[in-house]
Amino acid sequence: MKKRILFFSLIIGLTVSAFFGTEEATTYIAIKGAHIIPVVGEDIPEGTILINGNRIEGLGKDIPIPPGAKIVDASGLYAYPGMIDGYCYLGLSEIGSIAATNDYRETGRINPQVKATEALRPDSMHIPIARANGITAALVAPSGGFIAGQSGLIKLTGWTPEEMVIRSPVAMQVEFPAMIRAGFRREEAPREEASKQVVELKDWLNKARYYQKRKEAAARNLLLPFPEFDETLESLLPVANGDLPLMISVQAEKDIRAAIKFVQEEKLKAIFYGVSQGWKVAEEIKKADIPVVFGSLNNMPPSWEDGYDSLYRNPSVLQKAGVKIAFSSQSASSAKDLPYHAAKAAAFGLDKREALNAVTIYPAQIFGVSDIMGSLEKGKLANIVLADGDLLELRTSVHKVFIEGKEADLSNRFTELLDKFKKRDEERKLEEK
Amino acid sequence: METSKKLTALFIALFVGAVLSPAEVLPTYALVNCRIVPVTSPVIEKGVVIIRDGLIESIGAIGKIKIPEDAEVIEAEGMTAFPGLILAHTSLFLELPKEERPVPGEARMPSEPQPEKKVQNPGLRAFNLLKPKKTTIDGYHRIGITTVLVAPEAGIFAGQSVLLNLNGEKPEAMVVKNPVALHINFVTERNSYPSSLMGTVAFLKQSFLDAEYYSSYQSHLARLQKGMKRPEYNPFLEAIIPYVIEKKPIVFTCGNQEDIKRALRLQDEFKLNAFLSGANEAWRVADLLKKAQVPLLVSLDFRPPLSSEYSQRGEEERKKAEKDIYPANPQALSKAGLKFALTSSGLIDPSSFQKNVREAIKAGLPQEEALKALTITPAQFLGVDSVLGSLEPGKIANLILANGEIFGEKTEVEKVFVDGVLFPIEKKAAEAKPTAADIAGTWKATVRTPMGEMEMTMELEQEGSQVKGFMSSQMGKWEIKDGILSGAELTFTLAATIMGETMEMAFSGKTEKDTIEGTISSAMGNAEFRATRIPKAME
Amino acid sequence: MKEADMNKKVLAFFLGTIITIIPCFSAGGNLLIKNGTILTVTKGSLPKGDILIVGGVIRQIGENIEAPEGVRVIDASGKYVIPGIIDSHTHIALSGTNEMGEAITPEVNMSEVIQAEDLSIFTALSGGVTMVHTMHGSGNPIGGQNITLKMKWGRPAEELIVPQAYKTLKFALGENPKQASRPAFGGGSQRYPASRMGVNAIIRKKLLEAKNYMLQWERYLEAKKSKNPPKTLFPPRKDLRLEALAELLRGNLLARCHSYRADESLEFIDLSKEFGFKIACFEHIPEAFKITRELRREGIGISVFLDNWAYKVEASEGIAYSAAYCTRNGVLVSINSDGGERIRRLFNDAGKAMKYGGLTEEEALKLITINPAIQLGVEKIAGSLEVGKHGDVAVFNEHPLSAYTRCEMTIVEGDVYFDRNQYLKEREDAEKRGKDMKKPGGEK
Repeated sequence: MKKRILFFSLIIGLTVSAFFGTEEATTYIAIKGAHIIPVVGEDIPEGTILINGNRIEGLGKDIPIPPGAKIVDASGLYAYPGMIDGYCYLGLSEIGSIAATNDYRETGRINPQVKATEALRPDSMHIPIARANGITAALVAPSGGFIAGQSGLIKLTGWTPEEMVIRSPVAMQVEFPAMIRAGFRREEAPREEASKQVVELKDWLNKARYYQKRKEAAARNLLLPFPEFDETLESLLPVANGDLPLMISVQAEKDIRAAIKFVQEEKLKAIFYGVSQGWKVAEEIKKADIPVVFGSLNNMPPSWEDGYDSLYRNPSVLQKAGVKIAFSSQSASSAKDLPYHAAKAAAFGLDKREALNAVTIYPAQIFGVSDIMGSLEKGKLANIVLADGDLLELRTSVHKVFIEGKEADLSNRFTELLDKFKKRDEERKLEEK
Repeated sequence: METSKKLTALFIALFVGAVLSPAEVLPTYALVNCRIVPVTSPVIEKGVVIIRDGLIESIGAIGKIKIPEDAEVIEAEGMTAFPGLILAHTSLFLELPKEERPVPGEARMPSEPQPEKKVQNPGLRAFNLLKPKKTTIDGYHRIGITTVLVAPEAGIFAGQSVLLNLNGEKPEAMVVKNPVALHINFVTERNSYPSSLMGTVAFLKQSFLDAEYYSSYQSHLARLQKGMKRPEYNPFLEAIIPYVIEKKPIVFTCGNQEDIKRALRLQDEFKLNAFLSGANEAWRVADLLKKAQVPLLVSLDFRPPLSSEYSQRGEEERKKAEKDIYPANPQALSKAGLKFALTSSGLIDPSSFQKNVREAIKAGLPQEEALKALTITPAQFLGVDSVLGSLEPGKIANLILANGEIFGEKTEVEKVFVDGVLFPIEKKAAEAKPTAADIAGTWKATVRTPMGEMEMTMELEQEGSQVKGFMSSQMGKWEIKDGILSGAELTFTLAATIMGETMEMAFSGKTEKDTIEGTISSAMGNAEFRATRIPKAME
Repeated sequence: MKEADMNKKVLAFFLGTIITIIPCFSAGGNLLIKNGTILTVTKGSLPKGDILIVGGVIRQIGENIEAPEGVRVIDASGKYVIPGIIDSHTHIALSGTNEMGEAITPEVNMSEVIQAEDLSIFTALSGGVTMVHTMHGSGNPIGGQNITLKMKWGRPAEELIVPQAYKTLKFALGENPKQASRPAFGGGSQRYPASRMGVNAIIRKKLLEAKNYMLQWERYLEAKKSKNPPKTLFPPRKDLRLEALAELLRGNLLARCHSYRADESLEFIDLSKEFGFKIACFEHIPEAFKITRELRREGIGISVFLDNWAYKVEASEGIAYSAAYCTRNGVLVSINSDGGERIRRLFNDAGKAMKYGGLTEEEALKLITINPAIQLGVEKIAGSLEVGKHGDVAVFNEHPLSAYTRCEMTIVEGDVYFDRNQYLKEREDAEKRGKDMKKPGGEK
């Protein structure tokens, strides 16, 4: 009898370990004594998170810790899910003014074929800095022109692009006209532009569908000519078929309406980005059930009439209307500031918890990865941030960051240079002794 | 006296008289039964004006004045006689010299001052650039204007103005006074110093200092007569010395209230004889102006300056301010007890001048004040009030006969006298001239500036004489507005956005079947514009 | 009568007199801010205190101050009251930024181009800023003279000028003045100087010319005073450009130098020693943390971004810890905005100095209040809440260094220039009907 039980447990154990043990060794890590804010579910004022491999095996006030587990003492610290940046150029830009270091903008208006993750630079100096502030995943996106290309979701660790990419493509990026603003004077940009672009986009999608039709027909009938390979249409097929969402960068009220109409008529999956005047059409965005990712809140309002605080209060208006929202840094060198955009919105009416949701679970849901990240829940990836205070607060320091169960290196360009030059002053102190 | 001496004296007198006297003696006119508004004396309800040989001989109530035998009697019952209006700041008839095309490779912003390449030309005299056009003169006569000050427009030191009577097309015969004033604008250079407003202020100060230095050096030299090196002849300084040292008038064009303050500071520091022109925001600094006691040439351009709060708050507020606030400028100045002349400077379409006077009156400017501001006050400012600005015996016969109140909406000017010459006014045909060209369509345009050439595409829509459209280039797409096509003459404005900053530009020129040619001007200067039509087949 | 009561009555009478007399002499307003958490920055904090401003000057800070008659009372319960924020380096409220026509243009003066209607002034007020040092740009090795302004939105330009502030001259080193990112202009060659060598050389050249100019004038004046001056004696030409540099050499103008790299800053310090002029601050200098000992030794302050970096090559070694590290190493540090957007969140930047470098709350607040005041020479009238200083105050709904805070009210010399509640009410009203416009000849 005992032998059978032993035998069976061995089989089960082997199966289980085979199932889980692809990259990681089955090491347990127990983070103890932290005030846990899972984002989904109740806070746990003093609890433990048990990590197994790359997943969260359990979390709670008192959960059993397997022997041999590495213990991380987190007393006095707060445990949060790793933050997710809704739109940035991490890995795609090093020094803003030097074109050679920028790879997020292709030339020309129509570039659905380019993929942001294929230009990713894992050694970018901006990634460790963002990671050290608790950001564990980010949407990296191409920009510019009309159809800018495909965005992808990356995690902020990894030696190679392959190791970093969580999912690509996530969306096809499209940019409706920005609101031209000279100081606070808004030029009446001819309204035809935005609606012309909608027409153009419909046209492209129809062409793609027809292209598909011809391919399928030719596949069935050898006598029909097979259409020439068309890179643009081929890349737009997943969008036309409703498989790949469109992420539409859109700002002005009228343009938002035009975009909603377009998305509904074409029956597409969509995410709106930017949405500076979203507060004017919150109800309509809600009815259309389109989620919104905000651009950086550190921009001037598009027009004086909108009010000095229009970008700040925008998120609160949309969230209260029931729209799913997320924040972004819209940057590479300021990617670390993601939480402070959320906090700024909270200063102007957004509920603080909703602000936190909008940098954790909501972006995960919007990008279709909420089954594996965005909150501290059993079964999700162990992306955990240990901080000495409110994660969205300015003075909070992040002590530890776990990405997929592994503790991340928090040293970065800032800390390296600081250490280097601290040495200079220490040398002098020694000299003076 | 001996006969031979008498004869010699007679011959000399005749000879001198023949050389010096005007070409011909002008006819005598008697305007009878009209209402007379002399401006400097009470209105005469029914009176007579005698014009002889270019001058007003006498004015008085009917019955009190004897009608001369040689007079052509003009029955003027039901009409009112006003002094011809004076526009104290315009840029009419100026034909600018062709701009030199810069040699490529030369254009380079220098690190050191390059005095040889001075782009300012204060010695430029408007008189030398005049090309008067009959059609323009007729247009001005129609709105009652008989005298204009013409000043060059471009550059910081724009040049020297001339005062003209609109009596024909021969510049020499038109001149009343030349030069009148030195004109200074608070603008900047584009490719050289000063390229910023604060640079312009410093440049003006240094120029005035240099004028003082140069002049006092020359006086010193003149006293000593020898022993000191002569200074290098400096045409720039020579041109401005009469204004800076001898205190002849300097007109500062002030686009906003800060320009007014800048001008007053310069006036104070260098004790200049300053006039302020433009000044459509003058009411905002009325206190300063009262203290400074400077002549004001107030523009009837009611568009709020781009620097003002109203402009910054968006198109809607700007338009509102243009309609409601700025037209009240003249009446506010009047209430503050400030003396001013009204001008049309800044107005794209000079005929809107009448409309704007009416708006100013509607906003509260008393009509008599408006009339004064277009007659005796500018005459006084310009130092010609002994001969112009009102209907008085001995003054030049610049007079208009209108069939109603001078600024009335339905009033029409029927007869105009300039220098005693009668100009009948033809009844205006319906809005657009019958031979109005059709310029709707797409055009390929080239703009030539000192910086080089730029290609643009122009799309025009036309409705009668109204024109609008778009100008597209690699810098963006700009809206063409307020376009007016009158016969073959085209004017429009352009709101150009370059690198985030918006600049107003104005075009004026001529159309000819498939070409449009003219000048685009802005605060930065002028550029040559030429467009050729793109045939529909090629679009 | 109890002595305390007597004192109170005497005080009340005294203040009542002040209120009636002082306004006749000074233009400032009268306010009593009550029951706020007062962070004076230099003299500690009051968890629940009052500030009395009369005639634009702080007369009293304490608890339970009685409101003198006719003085508006502002209820600051639950709110934080700090000194008005000072932005030591920006370009707002000016019609023009750079004189690029030539490389050395110290004669241009930004005080000639103040733009008091710039909407950025309102933006600054919405971020609690009451005073700015607004400057010539960094396009020239020597740019122009700067000006310090109070954010008195709606007042005429002359009333904004702060006469007590140092007179400063803008210098710039590195990529901007050598126009590194600009291609050769109009097909021709690039402007000189096009390298850091040239930048220093041209500054040296002009300063030597200025010394020469000063010498010429000295010699002339001496010759004029002499017993029998020659008849041909004539003064040298007055040159505004060299005059301005002469003022620098005489010590009447302080250099505020835009620099990025540590090495170019050190070279500039040498240049200043060569000619004997004073550097008040280096601007931006992301690499300041590398040379704290030199900055401290020379008594040169810095005016920096907290964490804006990597936009240019010379900014690629800027670290967010620099402000805190320099503070801890004896350098006077202020945080600036360099523009009209960042100016409304300087308090957020100050908060980050606690995270990146461990500054205390008070040290962090100093970065945007008393430190820039000292750098501008106005510490006697601004930069902290002390009796006798100007009533420049900012009121926040949460602690000013919290990410969740927002500015509720900004007061300059006792007058409320930004009131969020009023702003919201006006917006609501405006949305309901058309706005009333200001007509000429009428009241503001």
